[in-house]
Amino acid sequence: MRTFLLKRLPSGLLVLVLASFLVFLILRLIPGDPATTLAGPDAGPAAIEAIRSELGLDQPLFGQYASWLGRLLSGDLGPSYAIGGQVTDLIGNGLGATAQLTLGALLLVVLIALPLAVLGATSRRRPVAAAVQAVTTGVLAIPPFVTGVLLVLVFAVGFELLPAGGHESLLAEPDLAVQYLAMPALCLALPSAAVLARYLKDGIERALAEDYVRTATALGVSRRRIVWRHALPNALPSAVTVLGLQIGHLVAGAVLVERIFAWPGLGQLIEQGVVRRDYPVVQDLLLLVVAVYVAVQLLTDLAYTWLDPRIRWE
Amino acid sequence: MTAPPRLPTAPSRRALLRAGLAGAGLLTLAGCRSAVEHARNAAGAADAGPPRRGGVLTVATGIDVTPSLLFAQSANTLIQRLVFNTLTRYDDRLRPQPELATAWEVSPDGLSVTLRLREDVLFHSGRRFTAEDVVFAVRNLQNPARSAQLRSTAAAVTDFRRNGDFELTLVLAHPVSNLFDLFEFMIIPDRDSVEDAVAGTRLIGTGPFTLTDRKPGSSLAFARNDHYWNPGRPYLDGVEIRIIPQAESLLSSLRTGQTHLSYNVRGKDVATLRTDPQFRIHPYDTGSGAYYIGVNTTAEHVGDKRVRQAIAWAIDRDRLVQQALGGYGSVSSAPWPTSSPAYTEAGATHYRHDPDRARALLREAGAERLTLPFAHTNEAGPTAVAQILQYDLQQVGIDTVLQPTDSPTMQKQLISQSMPALWSLSHGFAQLHPATLAVSAYPFNEAKNSSRFTSPAYTDVVQRAWNRSDSDSPEALELYQRITDVLLEEQFVINLAIAGLIEVAGHRARGATLNKFGYLNLDDAYLTA
Repeated sequence: MRTFLLKRLPSGLLVLVLASFLVFLILRLIPGDPATTLAGPDAGPAAIEAIRSELGLDQPLFGQYASWLGRLLSGDLGPSYAIGGQVTDLIGNGLGATAQLTLGALLLVVLIALPLAVLGATSRRRPVAAAVQAVTTGVLAIPPFVTGVLLVLVFAVGFELLPAGGHESLLAEPDLAVQYLAMPALCLALPSAAVLARYLKDGIERALAEDYVRTATALGVSRRRIVWRHALPNALPSAVTVLGLQIGHLVAGAVLVERIFAWPGLGQLIEQGVVRRDYPVVQDLLLLVVAVYVAVQLLTDLAYTWLDPRIRWE
Repeated sequence: MTAPPRLPTAPSRRALLRAGLAGAGLLTLAGCRSAVEHARNAAGAADAGPPRRGGVLTVATGIDVTPSLLFAQSANTLIQRLVFNTLTRYDDRLRPQPELATAWEVSPDGLSVTLRLREDVLFHSGRRFTAEDVVFAVRNLQNPARSAQLRSTAAAVTDFRRNGDFELTLVLAHPVSNLFDLFEFMIIPDRDSVEDAVAGTRLIGTGPFTLTDRKPGSSLAFARNDHYWNPGRPYLDGVEIRIIPQAESLLSSLRTGQTHLSYNVRGKDVATLRTDPQFRIHPYDTGSGAYYIGVNTTAEHVGDKRVRQAIAWAIDRDRLVQQALGGYGSVSSAPWPTSSPAYTEAGATHYRHDPDRARALLREAGAERLTLPFAHTNEAGPTAVAQILQYDLQQVGIDTVLQPTDSPTMQKQLISQSMPALWSLSHGFAQLHPATLAVSAYPFNEAKNSSRFTSPAYTDVVQRAWNRSDSDSPEALELYQRITDVLLEEQFVINLAIAGLIEVAGHRARGATLNKFGYLNLDDAYLTA
């Protein structure tokens, strides 16, 4: 495993360095700058120039980039331009909420996708298979901002079962936190669950067509055991790759879902940072998202080898 | 040959066990506290009978505060009057009332004003408020980095004469008619922590509430200031401001009782609550809700004022108010709301929807078929307004190319005077003394504005209206009328409708008010049972 990691880590680091450069450059290419936002709608050029100078935005781009990397390496991310406070504190506060949301959503992805895939692949009744197909297609077709608003209308406004928005810490108030989490996590999970269910269903169907399944059936092994102990494990490796990619989608989708449900996570922070051109917040957060992607891909490859012994780390 | 085993159709014992466990889980969940009730309770512990002490009022807003704009008019001004105080506050007829200043006297020549200050005021840090804090507050606004729109008025103060700790004379370079606009606008910060305040880490003022927690992008929590100078106030134990960016979610939070009060419900959504007895709706004659079309007078075609006037005649303002603002607004071709000393019925109705007259003016200007760029901010509401305006202009032969632009970009273009031929936005500052609009609001600023409009006549009349100590004499009213005449004639800003902030309050929230700058005043607010 050490050799495997030694081989993969340099490429991961290279991705991070390239990403840092792109993130830095793209932000500077967007029209509007932090000084204008900070100065407010009726500011004069003198005020804007004074703020630009104070923030170091009048320095050459390379100098600004080097200064940012220096801060990253030192672990001190510095102050936010517009949102207020230290970037480290802002990210620290949002990270817990986003982790709670994405992990909750991930759990729901698996809990929804697994039975749907097994049902779709094993049902001998065509209407059931067609229903599974229709459900996954429908869920994929509806964007999360529609699902979110519908969930709020039904469960918060209509039946008054769940709160319309907000957040509680899972550690401090677990019973309340689960109820606050339910709708945003479901909204975030549904599209990924549909994708995973489709991949997994195809994988199970392929596995069920294999010779060893016919042999097991001939030997009198129960259908349930064949599906859960033989076909599903063989379908899992490719599904895990898809799941790894979906984790990335969950982090990206959090930007929208957090806005709908007023969830105080990193997604809201990114959105606020972009709208206010808060360069330090957006740069650091986007790089963090890339780092999460890289780490998840690495873990996915490790999980792949664990699930499929035919693949070796070397 | 053995038939392949089938999936059991009847529930097995294992399936029954699982179902039982799931049921037990649901029952456990049902036995838990309800998050809906929790959110409602957090939104206010009820006390019976108004007005009563206690409870936490929850306010929903769509946008977080920008700490660096604490001393400027910005999109969120809810916290200014919660944490801080001003020197005076206006009543409904723009007459100053005591706040931290208990009395004032303007010298006969208008070149100085003497303020008598309260002696029983403490900052949240425990330090006593004195005249020195007023000196600091004025100098703070004179600093360009604070971006205060009333900086020009603050800059007219050239000297301070202290007569003890609680009396102060401000010496002015010239008389100004909007001095009390400054006193309504200028919050008094703690001079020892002002840099922390603009960095968003600490707010210390003399106001009724102290900031106890801030979660950027999520919420701000305030606790009652037990040493507040206003006896028996505030009634509330605390206030929570929840930031809910999505308009639909904000509305849902009000409907479900999770929040009590908001000033950020869109006009078309307010219209859906109008008949709901759960809500009280109160439009304010304040805020930044005057809709206008800005014109770059140096752009091709629109440099001719006949073309600008044609645009003013082409717009169906009634339809705009009904369709885009849900009926919450009044059509007006002048910037002034009805409470302004400059308001006249003739000015408000000067331009009506008259496409024929617009076409005639365009013919006269030799501009019968035009294509013009039209910028607007890319949020849903402003986009709907721009589309309505686009349709109206098309009917008189002016095709427009809509340019959706995000707010920071548009702001940069406005400040750098690089706007396209047309744009639509909203402006504030017309709810105050009229001179403030022409010297402090960027679209109308006589010295430099986004329209690149300059006129010696406009500058002259604005400066004469501003450089005087009285603001309601017949001479002052005559000057305001002349400002209105120039605006209606030149149409570098084409006013469309006036729509102030709308208060949407759940049935339990009482007593909240806004000042002329939209600062939320909860001194007398309370929650009913």
